[in-house]
Amino acid sequence: MAPVKCSKCGSDAMIFLHYVRRHLCSRHFREMFEKRFRSTVREFGMIKKGDRIAVGLSGGKDSTVLLRCLHDLSDDLPMELVAVTVDEGISGYRDATLKIAKKEAKKLGVEHRIVSFKKDVGKSLDSILGKDGSLACSYCGVLRRGLLNRTARDLGADKLAMGHNLDDAAQTVLMNVLRNEPGRISRFINPAIKHPSFVPRIRPLLRTPEKEVAIYAMARGIRIEHKECPYARFAFRQNVRRQLNEMEELHPGTKFKVLGSFLAMDWMMKGAKAKDTELAVCSSCGEPASGARCRFCEMMEQIRS
Amino acid sequence: MELFVDGKRKSLRHSGDISALLKKLGVRREEVVVKLNGRLAPETSEVGAGDKVEVIKVVFGG
Repeated sequence: MAPVKCSKCGSDAMIFLHYVRRHLCSRHFREMFEKRFRSTVREFGMIKKGDRIAVGLSGGKDSTVLLRCLHDLSDDLPMELVAVTVDEGISGYRDATLKIAKKEAKKLGVEHRIVSFKKDVGKSLDSILGKDGSLACSYCGVLRRGLLNRTARDLGADKLAMGHNLDDAAQTVLMNVLRNEPGRISRFINPAIKHPSFVPRIRPLLRTPEKEVAIYAMARGIRIEHKECPYARFAFRQNVRRQLNEMEELHPGTKFKVLGSFLAMDWMMKGAKAKDTELAVCSSCGEPASGARCRFCEMMEQIRS
Repeated sequence: MELFVDGKRKSLRHSGDISALLKKLGVRREEVVVKLNGRLAPETSEVGAGDKVEVIKVVFGG
Protein backbone atom coordinates (compact mmCIF):
# COMPACT_ATOMS: atom_id res chain seq x y z
CA MET A 1 0.00 0.00 0.00
CA ALA A 2 1.21 3.56 -0.68
CA PRO A 3 2.43 5.32 2.50
CA VAL A 4 0.35 8.19 3.90
CA LYS A 5 2.01 11.56 3.24
CA CYS A 6 2.98 14.46 5.53
CA SER A 7 0.42 17.30 5.38
CA LYS A 8 3.28 19.82 5.24
CA CYS A 9 5.86 18.45 2.81
CA GLY A 10 4.57 15.29 1.13
CA SER A 11 7.21 12.96 2.64
CA ASP A 12 6.12 9.69 4.26
CA ALA A 13 4.14 10.45 7.44
CA MET A 14 5.06 8.85 10.78
CA ILE A 15 2.16 10.16 12.89
CA PHE A 16 -1.43 11.32 12.56
CA LEU A 17 -2.43 14.00 15.07
CA HIS A 18 -6.10 13.15 15.49
CA TYR A 19 -6.91 16.34 17.44
CA VAL A 20 -5.89 18.59 14.53
CA ARG A 21 -6.39 15.98 11.77
CA ARG A 22 -2.87 16.38 10.44
CA HIS A 23 -0.23 13.91 9.22
CA LEU A 24 3.42 14.71 9.96
CA CYS A 25 6.71 13.24 8.79
CA SER A 26 9.61 12.70 11.19
CA ARG A 27 11.15 16.13 10.52
CA HIS A 28 7.93 18.13 10.89
CA PHE A 29 6.84 16.12 13.93
CA ARG A 30 10.14 16.87 15.70
CA GLU A 31 9.87 20.54 14.78
CA MET A 32 6.31 20.75 16.13
CA PHE A 33 7.26 18.85 19.30
CA GLU A 34 10.26 21.06 20.09
CA LYS A 35 8.38 24.27 19.28
CA ARG A 36 5.59 23.28 21.69
CA PHE A 37 8.14 22.36 24.39
CA ARG A 38 9.77 25.78 24.13
CA SER A 39 6.48 27.66 23.99
CA THR A 40 5.25 25.87 27.14
CA VAL A 41 8.43 26.89 28.98
CA ARG A 42 7.82 30.50 27.86
CA GLU A 43 4.06 30.51 28.49
CA PHE A 44 4.46 29.60 32.18
CA GLY A 45 7.74 31.48 32.66
CA MET A 46 9.26 28.19 33.80
CA ILE A 47 12.96 28.98 33.37
CA LYS A 48 15.02 32.14 33.75
CA LYS A 49 18.44 32.64 32.23
CA GLY A 50 21.09 31.14 34.54
CA ASP A 51 18.62 28.99 36.55
CA ARG A 52 19.97 25.80 38.06
CA ILE A 53 17.44 23.13 37.13
CA ALA A 54 17.24 19.76 38.88
CA VAL A 55 15.61 17.25 36.53
CA GLY A 56 13.74 14.33 38.08
CA LEU A 57 15.23 11.58 35.92
CA SER A 58 13.67 8.16 36.43
CA GLY A 59 15.09 6.89 33.14
CA GLY A 60 11.59 6.38 31.72
CA LYS A 61 10.72 7.97 28.37
CA ASP A 62 9.17 11.17 29.76
CA SER A 63 12.04 12.22 32.01
CA THR A 64 14.67 11.14 29.47
CA VAL A 65 13.01 13.20 26.71
CA LEU A 66 12.64 16.09 29.18
CA LEU A 67 16.37 16.05 29.95
CA ARG A 68 17.29 15.92 26.25
CA CYS A 69 14.96 18.81 25.38
CA LEU A 70 16.19 20.94 28.29
CA HIS A 71 19.77 20.18 27.29
CA ASP A 72 18.97 21.35 23.72
CA LEU A 73 17.18 24.43 25.04
CA SER A 74 20.21 25.37 27.15
CA ASP A 75 22.01 26.31 23.89
CA ASP A 76 19.61 29.27 23.56
CA LEU A 77 18.55 29.78 27.17
CA PRO A 78 21.63 29.22 29.35
CA MET A 79 20.83 27.09 32.41
CA GLU A 80 22.65 24.60 34.60
CA LEU A 81 21.24 21.10 34.61
CA VAL A 82 21.58 18.45 37.28
CA ALA A 83 19.74 15.12 37.24
CA VAL A 84 18.20 13.45 40.29
CA THR A 85 17.10 9.82 40.29
CA VAL A 86 15.13 8.17 43.06
CA ASP A 87 15.52 4.41 43.34
CA GLU A 88 12.36 3.32 45.14
CA GLY A 89 13.51 -0.28 45.41
CA ILE A 90 10.97 -2.03 43.18
CA SER A 91 12.40 -5.37 42.27
CA GLY A 92 12.51 -6.18 38.55
CA TYR A 93 11.31 -2.72 37.54
CA ARG A 94 13.58 0.18 38.48
CA ASP A 95 16.96 -1.42 37.66
CA ALA A 96 16.52 -1.15 33.88
CA THR A 97 15.48 2.53 33.89
CA LEU A 98 18.21 3.33 36.42
CA LYS A 99 20.75 2.11 33.87
CA ILE A 100 19.19 4.31 31.16
CA ALA A 101 19.24 7.32 33.53
CA LYS A 102 22.95 6.83 34.30
CA LYS A 103 23.83 6.40 30.63
CA GLU A 104 21.80 9.43 29.53
CA ALA A 105 23.24 11.78 32.17
CA LYS A 106 26.75 10.63 31.30
CA LYS A 107 26.15 11.07 27.58
CA LEU A 108 24.96 14.65 28.07
CA GLY A 109 27.64 15.45 30.65
CA VAL A 110 25.02 16.27 33.30
CA GLU A 111 25.82 15.89 37.02
CA HIS A 112 23.74 12.99 38.36
CA ARG A 113 22.67 12.31 41.95
CA ILE A 114 21.01 9.00 42.82
CA VAL A 115 19.10 8.65 46.09
CA SER A 116 17.21 5.60 47.28
CA PHE A 117 14.40 4.68 49.62
CA LYS A 118 16.64 2.00 51.10
CA LYS A 119 19.40 4.42 52.05
CA ASP A 120 17.43 7.60 52.68
CA VAL A 121 14.18 6.23 54.13
CA GLY A 122 15.61 3.05 55.65
CA LYS A 123 13.60 0.53 53.61
CA SER A 124 12.92 -0.20 49.94
CA LEU A 125 9.33 0.26 48.71
CA ASP A 126 9.03 -3.53 48.37
CA SER A 127 9.96 -3.98 52.06
CA ILE A 128 7.68 -1.16 53.24
CA LEU A 129 4.71 -2.77 51.49
CA GLY A 130 5.40 -6.43 52.21
CA LYS A 131 2.66 -8.47 50.55
CA ASP A 132 0.08 -5.67 50.39
CA GLY A 133 0.72 -3.45 47.38
CA SER A 134 -2.55 -1.56 47.64
CA LEU A 135 -0.94 1.51 49.28
CA ALA A 136 2.09 1.52 46.99
CA CYS A 137 1.26 4.74 45.14
CA SER A 138 0.52 6.66 48.35
CA TYR A 139 3.85 5.70 49.94
CA CYS A 140 5.82 6.00 46.73
CA GLY A 141 4.35 9.38 45.76
CA VAL A 142 4.92 11.05 49.15
CA LEU A 143 8.39 9.60 49.75
CA ARG A 144 9.60 10.18 46.17
CA ARG A 145 8.39 13.79 46.11
CA GLY A 146 9.99 14.36 49.52
CA LEU A 147 13.37 12.95 48.44
CA LEU A 148 13.29 14.84 45.14
CA ASN A 149 12.60 18.12 46.94
CA ARG A 150 15.33 17.58 49.55
CA THR A 151 17.90 16.49 46.98
CA ALA A 152 17.09 19.35 44.59
CA ARG A 153 17.43 21.79 47.48
CA ASP A 154 20.74 20.22 48.62
CA LEU A 155 22.02 20.62 45.06
CA GLY A 156 21.13 24.32 45.11
CA ALA A 157 18.47 24.03 42.40
CA ASP A 158 16.17 26.94 41.62
CA LYS A 159 13.56 24.67 40.03
CA LEU A 160 12.71 20.99 39.93
CA ALA A 161 11.71 19.85 36.41
CA MET A 162 9.32 16.90 36.24
CA GLY A 163 8.51 14.78 33.19
CA HIS A 164 4.73 15.03 33.66
CA ASN A 165 3.00 15.16 30.29
CA LEU A 166 -0.49 16.15 29.10
CA ASP A 167 -1.92 12.72 29.98
CA ASP A 168 -0.59 13.00 33.56
CA ALA A 169 -2.02 16.52 33.88
CA ALA A 170 -5.46 15.60 32.52
CA GLN A 171 -5.54 12.51 34.78
CA THR A 172 -4.57 14.59 37.82
CA VAL A 173 -7.30 17.14 37.11
CA LEU A 174 -9.95 14.41 36.77
CA MET A 175 -8.71 12.40 39.76
CA ASN A 176 -8.93 15.40 42.02
CA VAL A 177 -12.38 16.29 40.73
CA LEU A 178 -13.51 12.70 41.32
CA ARG A 179 -12.02 12.77 44.83
CA ASN A 180 -13.36 16.24 45.61
CA GLU A 181 -9.89 17.63 46.31
CA PRO A 182 -9.85 20.96 44.45
CA GLY A 183 -6.90 22.33 46.46
CA ARG A 184 -4.64 19.61 45.11
CA ILE A 185 -5.52 20.48 41.51
CA SER A 186 -4.54 24.04 42.10
CA ARG A 187 -1.18 22.98 43.55
CA PHE A 188 -0.37 20.74 40.58
CA ILE A 189 0.43 23.50 38.14
CA ASN A 190 0.34 26.65 40.19
CA PRO A 191 3.92 27.90 40.54
CA ALA A 192 2.88 30.42 43.24
CA ILE A 193 3.77 28.13 46.17
CA LYS A 194 6.33 30.00 48.20
CA HIS A 195 8.17 28.28 51.01
CA PRO A 196 11.85 28.49 51.92
CA SER A 197 12.28 24.70 51.77
CA PHE A 198 10.19 24.08 48.67
CA VAL A 199 11.88 23.89 45.28
CA PRO A 200 9.26 25.05 42.73
CA ARG A 201 8.24 22.41 40.16
CA ILE A 202 8.14 23.01 36.44
CA ARG A 203 6.52 20.72 33.88
CA PRO A 204 7.68 21.60 30.37
CA LEU A 205 5.89 18.57 28.82
CA LEU A 206 2.57 19.74 30.24
CA ARG A 207 1.04 20.29 26.79
CA THR A 208 2.52 17.16 25.17
CA PRO A 209 0.47 13.93 24.89
CA GLU A 210 2.25 10.89 26.32
CA LYS A 211 2.08 8.96 23.06
CA GLU A 212 3.89 11.80 21.30
CA VAL A 213 6.65 11.69 23.93
CA ALA A 214 7.14 8.01 23.06
CA ILE A 215 7.17 8.66 19.31
CA TYR A 216 9.62 11.56 19.76
CA ALA A 217 11.88 9.32 21.86
CA MET A 218 11.82 6.63 19.17
CA ALA A 219 12.42 9.19 16.40
CA ARG A 220 15.52 10.43 18.28
CA GLY A 221 16.78 6.94 19.07
CA ILE A 222 16.19 7.29 22.82
CA ARG A 223 15.78 3.88 24.42
CA ILE A 224 12.38 3.18 25.97
CA GLU A 225 11.96 0.54 28.65
CA HIS A 226 8.67 -1.24 27.93
CA LYS A 227 7.75 -2.20 31.46
CA GLU A 228 4.92 -1.26 33.77
CA CYS A 229 5.40 -0.68 37.48
CA PRO A 230 4.18 -3.88 39.20
CA TYR A 231 2.14 -1.74 41.60
CA ALA A 232 0.38 0.29 38.86
CA ARG A 233 -2.65 -2.01 38.87
CA PHE A 234 -3.52 -0.82 42.38
CA ALA A 235 -3.63 2.83 41.36
CA PHE A 236 -6.80 4.87 40.98
CA ARG A 237 -4.88 6.71 38.24
CA GLN A 238 -4.86 3.52 36.16
CA ASN A 239 -8.68 3.58 35.88
CA VAL A 240 -8.73 7.28 35.08
CA ARG A 241 -6.01 6.76 32.43
CA ARG A 242 -8.04 4.03 30.72
CA GLN A 243 -11.24 6.11 30.71
CA LEU A 244 -9.46 9.19 29.41
CA ASN A 245 -7.77 7.24 26.63
CA GLU A 246 -11.12 5.82 25.56
CA MET A 247 -12.63 9.32 25.57
CA GLU A 248 -9.66 10.64 23.58
CA GLU A 249 -10.20 7.96 20.95
CA LEU A 250 -13.88 8.84 20.62
CA HIS A 251 -13.39 12.60 20.95
CA PRO A 252 -9.86 13.59 19.90
CA GLY A 253 -8.60 16.59 21.86
CA THR A 254 -10.29 15.58 25.13
CA LYS A 255 -7.03 15.72 27.14
CA PHE A 256 -6.19 19.20 25.85
CA LYS A 257 -9.72 20.30 26.76
CA VAL A 258 -9.49 18.90 30.31
CA LEU A 259 -6.22 20.75 30.89
CA GLY A 260 -7.55 23.87 29.15
CA SER A 261 -10.68 23.90 31.36
CA PHE A 262 -8.54 23.58 34.45
CA LEU A 263 -6.19 26.38 33.40
CA ALA A 264 -9.14 28.65 32.61
CA MET A 265 -10.74 27.93 36.01
CA ASP A 266 -7.39 28.38 37.71
CA TRP A 267 -7.10 31.80 36.13
CA MET A 268 -10.66 32.77 37.08
CA MET A 269 -10.15 31.65 40.69
CA LYS A 270 -6.76 33.30 41.16
CA GLY A 271 -7.82 35.55 44.04
CA ALA A 272 -9.95 32.97 45.78
CA LYS A 273 -7.37 30.21 45.96
CA ALA A 274 -4.52 32.06 47.66
CA LYS A 275 -5.17 30.06 50.85
CA ASP A 276 -4.61 26.72 49.12
CA THR A 277 -1.10 27.61 48.06
CA GLU A 278 0.19 28.60 51.51
CA LEU A 279 2.27 25.90 53.09
CA ALA A 280 3.20 25.48 56.75
CA VAL A 281 6.47 24.20 58.19
CA CYS A 282 6.55 20.61 59.48
CA SER A 283 7.07 20.62 63.26
CA SER A 284 9.31 17.53 63.02
CA CYS A 285 11.63 18.19 60.07
CA GLY A 286 11.05 21.74 58.86
CA GLU A 287 10.00 20.64 55.36
CA PRO A 288 6.91 22.15 53.67
CA ALA A 289 3.68 20.73 55.11
CA SER A 290 -0.03 21.21 54.50
CA GLY A 291 -0.78 20.48 58.21
CA ALA A 292 1.25 20.57 61.44
CA ARG A 293 3.49 17.72 60.22
CA CYS A 294 4.41 16.74 56.68
CA ARG A 295 3.18 13.49 55.11
CA PHE A 296 6.81 12.33 54.76
CA CYS A 297 7.31 12.34 58.56
CA GLU A 298 3.90 10.74 59.15
CA MET A 299 4.79 7.93 56.77
CA MET A 300 8.28 7.48 58.25
CA GLU A 301 6.64 7.00 61.64
CA GLN A 302 4.31 4.34 60.20
CA ILE A 303 7.19 2.59 58.45
CA ARG A 304 9.33 2.50 61.62
CA SER A 305 6.50 1.36 63.93
CA MET B 1 0.32 -9.97 6.93
CA GLU B 2 2.80 -10.64 9.73
CA LEU B 3 1.50 -9.24 13.03
CA PHE B 4 3.38 -8.79 16.31
CA VAL B 5 1.91 -7.36 19.51
CA ASP B 6 4.59 -6.43 22.07
CA GLY B 7 6.98 -8.80 20.32
CA LYS B 8 4.59 -11.76 20.27
CA ARG B 9 3.42 -13.09 16.93
CA LYS B 10 -0.37 -13.06 16.46
CA SER B 11 -2.46 -14.64 13.84
CA LEU B 12 -5.21 -12.40 12.44
CA ARG B 13 -6.64 -11.71 9.00
CA HIS B 14 -7.09 -8.00 8.33
CA SER B 15 -7.38 -5.61 5.47
CA GLY B 16 -8.05 -1.94 6.10
CA ASP B 17 -6.28 0.70 8.15
CA ILE B 18 -4.29 0.36 11.37
CA SER B 19 -7.02 2.03 13.47
CA ALA B 20 -9.44 -0.74 12.51
CA LEU B 21 -6.77 -3.34 13.23
CA LEU B 22 -6.22 -1.93 16.74
CA LYS B 23 -9.96 -2.04 17.37
CA LYS B 24 -10.03 -5.68 16.29
CA LEU B 25 -7.18 -6.40 18.71
CA GLY B 26 -8.95 -4.54 21.54
CA VAL B 27 -5.97 -2.20 21.94
CA ARG B 28 -6.42 1.46 22.89
CA ARG B 29 -4.93 3.65 20.16
CA GLU B 30 -3.61 6.18 22.67
CA GLU B 31 -1.43 3.60 24.40
CA VAL B 32 0.50 2.10 21.49
CA VAL B 33 2.67 3.00 18.54
CA VAL B 34 2.69 0.97 15.36
CA LYS B 35 5.55 0.12 13.05
CA LEU B 36 4.66 -0.80 9.51
CA ASN B 37 7.44 -2.67 7.70
CA GLY B 38 9.92 -1.46 10.33
CA ARG B 39 8.95 2.25 10.29
CA LEU B 40 6.67 4.24 12.60
CA ALA B 41 3.38 4.73 10.78
CA PRO B 42 0.15 6.71 11.35
CA GLU B 43 -2.98 4.72 12.21
CA THR B 44 -4.53 5.92 8.95
CA SER B 45 -2.09 3.70 7.01
CA GLU B 46 -3.66 0.82 5.10
CA VAL B 47 -2.21 -2.61 5.72
CA GLY B 48 -2.56 -5.77 3.74
CA ALA B 49 -0.97 -9.02 2.64
CA GLY B 50 2.82 -8.97 2.72
CA ASP B 51 3.05 -6.21 5.36
CA LYS B 52 4.80 -6.60 8.70
CA VAL B 53 2.90 -4.82 11.47
CA GLU B 54 4.31 -4.33 15.00
CA VAL B 55 2.07 -2.99 17.75
CA ILE B 56 4.13 -1.70 20.69
CA LYS B 57 2.68 -0.57 24.02
CA VAL B 58 4.30 2.68 25.10
CA VAL B 59 1.94 4.06 27.74
CA PHE B 60 2.43 2.45 31.13
CA GLY B 61 1.50 3.13 34.70
CA GLY B 62 4.35 3.90 37.03
